[in-house]
Amino acid sequence: MTVEAPVVELREVSRTFAAGDVSVPALRDASMSIDRGEYVAVIGPSGSGKSTMLNLIGLLDRPTSGSYILEGIDTSTLNEGQRAGLRSRRIGFVFQSFHLLAHRSVIENVLLSTIYNGMARPDRVPAAEAALVEVGLAHRMDFLPTKLSGGERQRVAIARALVTRPAILLADEPTGNLDSATGGAVLDLFDELRAQGLTLVVVTHDTEVSEHADRAIHLRDGRIEVES
Amino acid sequence: MTNVVVSDGADAVAPARMSPRDLAAEAVAGIFARPGRTVLTVLGTVLGIGALVATLGVAKTAGNQIVGRFDELAATSVVVTNERGFFFGGGDVRIQIPSDAEDRLLRLNGVTAVGAMGPVDVGGALVRSVPIPDPLAQTEFQMSVYGATPGLLGATRGALSTGRWFDWGHSERADRVAVLGTGSAQRLNVTRVDQQPVVFIGDEAFVVIGILDSVRRQPELLNAVILPEGTAREVYGYMSAATVQIEVEIGAASLIAEQASIALSPDEPSLLRVQKPPEPADLRRDVEGDVNALFLVLGGVSLLVGAIGIANVTLVSVLERVGEIGLRRALGAARRHVAGQFLMESTAMGLVGGIIGASMGVLLVVAISATRTWTPVLDPWVPLTAPLVGAMTGLVAGLYPALRAASLEPVEALRSG
Repeated sequence: MTVEAPVVELREVSRTFAAGDVSVPALRDASMSIDRGEYVAVIGPSGSGKSTMLNLIGLLDRPTSGSYILEGIDTSTLNEGQRAGLRSRRIGFVFQSFHLLAHRSVIENVLLSTIYNGMARPDRVPAAEAALVEVGLAHRMDFLPTKLSGGERQRVAIARALVTRPAILLADEPTGNLDSATGGAVLDLFDELRAQGLTLVVVTHDTEVSEHADRAIHLRDGRIEVES
Repeated sequence: MTNVVVSDGADAVAPARMSPRDLAAEAVAGIFARPGRTVLTVLGTVLGIGALVATLGVAKTAGNQIVGRFDELAATSVVVTNERGFFFGGGDVRIQIPSDAEDRLLRLNGVTAVGAMGPVDVGGALVRSVPIPDPLAQTEFQMSVYGATPGLLGATRGALSTGRWFDWGHSERADRVAVLGTGSAQRLNVTRVDQQPVVFIGDEAFVVIGILDSVRRQPELLNAVILPEGTAREVYGYMSAATVQIEVEIGAASLIAEQASIALSPDEPSLLRVQKPPEPADLRRDVEGDVNALFLVLGGVSLLVGAIGIANVTLVSVLERVGEIGLRRALGAARRHVAGQFLMESTAMGLVGGIIGASMGVLLVVAISATRTWTPVLDPWVPLTAPLVGAMTGLVAGLYPALRAASLEPVEALRSG
């Protein structure tokens, strides 16, 4: 019988930034793991290393020391091309500022994920439509993002992250640019996704957001303080 | 702690891929995201390529046209003279042109007409048409007198307004006959020859048998009195022709020019001076060379400006789209995919500029030719190569911006976008 490995496992991971002659540690000896299907909030004051941890988990950045194992693969042994390949297949990102392309329709924005992912061409549009149905935007597929409300835009971004069926969804302050009503709708959507078995990591400083999560990782000055 | 690989083996770490078709689609979408700016960017390449194509076309067309015009008269004319000026630092050395020059040259393949002519020394005698001087009007004129061979009329493409030209019979018998050029006939008041008017050179009388209306070569004949060679020799001791006018078939000028001096003076051909028309091929090359050198530089400069324009706009576009670049990296684009997209965008802009520019250049050549009623001539490789040159321009222009885009760190790009 096989033991299900954690989706994410950090082993004494540190990340130090060099600012001139001074080196600033953003994350120090962080060790933690996230199991499949878990909904984890990463919270802490600004400058505590939340975004650095998310960038490391999302393979956008490399740790200065320590190792990061994603679905059993030691990512420190991978080159840039392989890391990009893993990002395209296994990781979905949701950003505070949405990062939608203003000149492309909703469905074209969602399809953007599929071109780097190696998805077969005939499968792409059905997958994008399914993702948009999932986030409740079936009626907005041909709209430009500029015609949508903030909450709708963030749901387009979530559909873009979901279309490739990633192992883990990483959200960086997903409600930061939204009012409490539309932000609440996004959090309800996360709850639904979690109920379907998706692994979620949400970085936030909003306690309302972290209450939705199974557990929270508290960061302060680059160290994991409490896991609750 | 136990680690079990749940993903499917080697494929799990396969590098990111992007199909060429997707790359092209992304580049086209990028271009059409800001159509107005793209049009302005492409304009520089359009002008550069258009200028190059039009230059090459106009040069070729004009070169062909000039050759066509020269073919008519000059390309069929070879002139041999015995004027050598000073020789051996001393006297004026001239060799005689033989009196059978016509026979010698007509034997050459490619010669269609030959005539020899030379000034006759009449000892300063004046020319008049009436024997008795009229005190009330000027009746005596200083005129040049030429001795000529019968073939000269054909060789100069002359035409008579009245009467006839002399023949070998007149020359061999040394008949006292003359042909007047139209200018000299006017001054001497001779308008018709049917009553056999007489002109006097000094005290020698000559019957006017014809009036020369026009010549296409050797125009000095029109203001002269022209005597048959034999007559001039008999009366004035005319020694030798000074000029031999040869008409040749098109394309034979160079060959005849080499052969004529040997035929006329086998022992000393170098003492004769031969004037031949410029080679058509040389002429065309010269014309094209002149036009090309100037305008190709202009075209090249516009193309350079166009390239700088593309580079500039692509760079601005990269800086504007930092957020998009970060997003694409997060979605799994490798650095080379980002670089490829921007290179493709600039190359496509260059290609479109090249196609439009080549079309406009061709139209310009046709328009210029139409206003001059020329035949437009263009090497087929010019309009076919021009779009490729445009694409290359775009590719080179996009190199630096593309490298800038690829070197962005995704974390930084996402934060600043």
